[in-house]
Amino acid sequence: MTRTWPPREAGTEQYSAGEDAGRKSSEEGRGLGGGSENSRRESGRSPGPRLRRAVAAGAVAVLVLGGCGFLHAAHQLRSDGSARNRALTDTEATSRVAGDVGDALARIFSYTPDGTAAAERSARTALDGKAARQYATLFDRVRQDLTAQRVTLSTRAVRTGVVELDGDRARLLVFLDQTSRRGEDAATTAAAQLTVTARLEDDRWRIVDIETR
Amino acid sequence: MRRARILAGTGLALALGFCGTSAWTYAQARADDGLAYGRERDAALADGRRALAALTTIDASTRQRAEGSVRDWRRVSTGPLREELGATEARAGASARGTVTEAAVTALDTRSGTAKLIATVRVETAPAGAGKPAVDRKRLEAVLARTGEDVWKVKALSAVPVQAARQEGTR
Repeated sequence: MTRTWPPREAGTEQYSAGEDAGRKSSEEGRGLGGGSENSRRESGRSPGPRLRRAVAAGAVAVLVLGGCGFLHAAHQLRSDGSARNRALTDTEATSRVAGDVGDALARIFSYTPDGTAAAERSARTALDGKAARQYATLFDRVRQDLTAQRVTLSTRAVRTGVVELDGDRARLLVFLDQTSRRGEDAATTAAAQLTVTARLEDDRWRIVDIETR
Repeated sequence: MRRARILAGTGLALALGFCGTSAWTYAQARADDGLAYGRERDAALADGRRALAALTTIDASTRQRAEGSVRDWRRVSTGPLREELGATEARAGASARGTVTEAAVTALDTRSGTAKLIATVRVETAPAGAGKPAVDRKRLEAVLARTGEDVWKVKALSAVPVQAARQEGTR
């Protein structure tokens, strides 16, 4: 190809030797011609070997750049949002966090007039951070009323969806049905929708934030 | 000279190898089932959110606009829901604007192209005329189907009902 024409034109002995080397090398593998040029360049001769050297260097550069491009694209694919989010893709982890959080919510929002202690005990193990503070504040406010008005509350998680699951952090959307009854009144059921942020600590999911929707 | 030749050859071979390996890595990532599943889940979530917002929105200030809203409903729905909505008669009346506040895919079958989605929607309704707007929060469950154009559309939509707990076993 282009490599061969300058030697022919110049036609010196060194060139034909170079050309031979080039040919042989191109039979063996693309690059070797470039090598023979390299050494020749040091002796400071003609443009032919130089061209070959440039072509070889160019090929190396293109290959390395292309390789980097592929690696980058692959990395992008493996580390973008949808790849890092293991909700549903990791079925076991997904159902585990959904189960843990659903159970925890049911336990901490279920109590009888005499038994808020159980709910608060559950809250201590299941809640952390901001959620724990919110829960404590709420309970401090209503504890007296609960006993005075003999309120019973039972909560069930009817739907749980994992929005995001990334390592030890998860965000879930939970639909709750809450049945409450005051003394001997008829029970009323209300719907509640929560966005819950949970963190995995010591192999247990703890709720760190609760937001109503 | 010979040494230089070998050196250059090695360099090129290494470059070629590097490029080949990278290309293979990329092809692997591209074909990775788990990754494809994740992308599909996010596509279903995004399309589902858009569809639910459209389905809980109607601009019925004039009849033309109401017709436009009904067209939007048909565009984001498929199957039985689409038929049902197609029969809706557009007329001026109360308007509503729905915003999906949170949504999650709860089930996804990429092979059959079906997904389930739960979502909370905030709906602002404005009665015809100068009535006071009201805000309502809904919790919805939708069944999505992937259509030929690779778009997820709503096949069925229902509100998640509140069920009174049984007297015993209150959880």
